[in-house]
Amino acid sequence: MPELGRAALVLALGLALYATVAGGYAAWRRRRRLALSAQNALLAAFAATVVAAAVLLSALVRHDFSFTVVAQTTSTDLPLAYTISAFWGGQAGSLLLWLLVLTGYGAAAVALGRRAGRDVIAWVVPLLGAVCVFFAFLLVGVASPFATQVAPAEGAGMTPSLQNPYMLAHPPLLYLGYVGLTIPWAFAMGSLLAGRADERWIVATRRWTLAAWTFLGVGQLLGAHWAYEEVGWGGYYAWDPVENAALMPWLAATAFLHSVLIQEKRGMLKVWNMLLVVGAFLLSLFGTFLTRSGVVNSIHSFTQSSIGPWFLFFICVVTAFSLALLFRRLPLLRTKTRLESLVSREATFLYNNLLLVALCLTILWGVVFPIVSEAVRGEAVTVGPPYYNFFLRVFGLPLLLLMGIGPLIAWRRAGLRSVGRIFVAPFGIALAAGLLLLAFGAGSSIPGLVAYTFSAFVLASIALEFIRGTRARRALGSSSWPAAFSSLVGRNRRRYGGYVVHAAIVMLAIGVAGSSAYGTVREAKLQPGQSMRVADYTLVYRGVEERQGANAREVRARLAVSRDGRDLGELAPGKNHYRVEGETANEVGIRSDLLTGEDLFVIADEFDSDGAAYFKVFVKPLVNLIWLAGLVFILGSLIAFWPDGREGRRLAVRYEPGAARA
Amino acid sequence: MTLVALVLGAALAVVCVLFVARPFLREPDPVEDRLEEPDELERSRLARAEERDRALAALKELEFDHRTGTVSDEDYRLLVGPLRRRAAETLRPFATPGRGKEGATPKGGRELIEIPEQPVPPEPPQVVPEPYPPPGEADLPQPPVIPEPLPEPGTPDRI
Repeated sequence: MPELGRAALVLALGLALYATVAGGYAAWRRRRRLALSAQNALLAAFAATVVAAAVLLSALVRHDFSFTVVAQTTSTDLPLAYTISAFWGGQAGSLLLWLLVLTGYGAAAVALGRRAGRDVIAWVVPLLGAVCVFFAFLLVGVASPFATQVAPAEGAGMTPSLQNPYMLAHPPLLYLGYVGLTIPWAFAMGSLLAGRADERWIVATRRWTLAAWTFLGVGQLLGAHWAYEEVGWGGYYAWDPVENAALMPWLAATAFLHSVLIQEKRGMLKVWNMLLVVGAFLLSLFGTFLTRSGVVNSIHSFTQSSIGPWFLFFICVVTAFSLALLFRRLPLLRTKTRLESLVSREATFLYNNLLLVALCLTILWGVVFPIVSEAVRGEAVTVGPPYYNFFLRVFGLPLLLLMGIGPLIAWRRAGLRSVGRIFVAPFGIALAAGLLLLAFGAGSSIPGLVAYTFSAFVLASIALEFIRGTRARRALGSSSWPAAFSSLVGRNRRRYGGYVVHAAIVMLAIGVAGSSAYGTVREAKLQPGQSMRVADYTLVYRGVEERQGANAREVRARLAVSRDGRDLGELAPGKNHYRVEGETANEVGIRSDLLTGEDLFVIADEFDSDGAAYFKVFVKPLVNLIWLAGLVFILGSLIAFWPDGREGRRLAVRYEPGAARA
Repeated sequence: MTLVALVLGAALAVVCVLFVARPFLREPDPVEDRLEEPDELERSRLARAEERDRALAALKELEFDHRTGTVSDEDYRLLVGPLRRRAAETLRPFATPGRGKEGATPKGGRELIEIPEQPVPPEPPQVVPEPYPPPGEADLPQPPVIPEPLPEPGTPDRI
């Protein structure tokens, strides 16, 4: 039923257009019923988009190859889960997912965002509507998922590298993150349009921003794990433009989550926060533009198309609108509060912001450099990993250190003597850890050693914060240590959830430093029966075997693995030959040691007719900490996200005077 | 199939249009159709409420950080006075009886300052240096260490 899908999309476009025009007029002329009607139009646009999405999903599941999208991205022998993931595997489907998430978020944010004030919501509706109009227009007029053709007997199948369980979650999570950043932007702009100088927009979007940031972070981590397992070059992050496209808005949102605390606590940085919100939203649009337009070479080239100029146009419109509005409302955002001391918690937050933004801009420059160089010199010059790795160290290591310094410094100002006293313990632990690591040979990589020492410093300061806080809570009357700990976290979820997230970032840093600075790699051509040694491991090549999988012929090398004479089982790296797609993909062999966090990672690069095989073997110390960091990251975000009854009552007193009298 | 799709599409459109028109259908002739927006008085109350919450939260955090040892006695003495004065200033308009809406702080306010207020730690005793260093150890006498005084009551806050 492609007609129903098309009709639903046209309807969604019409409703979004109505929400924009009628909603804008209602907010301007203060018309209550018209504003409510525009709000309903946004909700109805979500319903219409759900219908369109259901039509596409149904076509995919039924293998209806009369839908061009279905024929281009699936085949009859594709497993059901991957058939469903084809929804976002292609251009048009992924745009439909954008619209679905956007209308869904918009409807929920408007329905739940009462705390922002009716006058602000009245402006939020047309702003969200305008973004919906753009995506609905693309789906109706430029890249329809409901284009039809004479149904072929078989579909073209799915790109083999996308046939991976991580692809079921990685793209939708990224979309939840990208699109989620629209909400704080719309509320920030809505607040400016309503002439508000207060912080209601921040209160209303605090959890939206946190959720979008978490989704973006977890989505990237899943993408890294997909690259590690599936792309099979031995790494997990290649500084590919499309990977960077997701990292940049995440960095901007990280900066915002920190600096907004300064606004809440000190009433400072109002303009800076607005700029960060606008920047994060623009970078999320830019990320989508990069993924879809094909303006830069990327491993994600399966979604290239001609929608780039439309995106570029929209990005320009949003930039011009946001900056013009911000400039016009500057007097509203003026603040009398000044930074009291360069040694204070807000100052460390400020340094953190500057470093995050500098890292973000450096990455942005690396991403656009090929485009700029082509425009200027007629030749696209690509910036490689050494450029990014250099700046990651320059900005990333101080950022890591600041995570340990910030929590231990008082707000407003701290005396140097008391700072010195409070840092004695973490500094001592970090120094001891550094010397110990040096003694164990970690000095082979200076950045690695510095990263580990800083990590020890941060972990020590986080642990100290929890210990001291729990002790103080116990002294204030908690009956037991667990009760004191629970009370500590429960009474300030954002602060202590934030510390857990910091611990996750430290684990990530340790994992990245360990696997990249202290890894081992060896290559060898082996005949059956021959062996090779890599670090402490011995690998014996036992031969090759072939079998027929669900939709591919699987060739696997059998390798017996042992360490110090102890048998560790078998690994079976190899290749999958996909019949329908006519493509071959690497399938790596990974043996994880969960105790040490180390991976033995084997690629079978080539098989000879005489049974010989070329192997590339990596030993990656501590790499599993990266994936574990993801779980800790989710835990910390959940703690920070969890509703706080006390805070809710306080905000009710602040914003709804009636509630206090009740 | 096409006919079914068209009928379903048309039904969806009708439902959506009715939903969008609902505010007008429910209130065809309203007494008041003006969108609520805060007046200057409400805006100013909101600004003061935010300032009050900020001051109380800062005081609460300082008290707790002092208990945990993150803030030293010395820094605490320096910071607590202006913060207490600021909190008192921001609470004043809300505490005045007969101010209607603005008298509504108690619940949230109490929660914010529920940590028992700590007494300001006494200043450390003044270090009196030896009048003259032992002969041969230094040529000049050391100046006395004078602790910084507490801010005078009424000293304007830097906010």
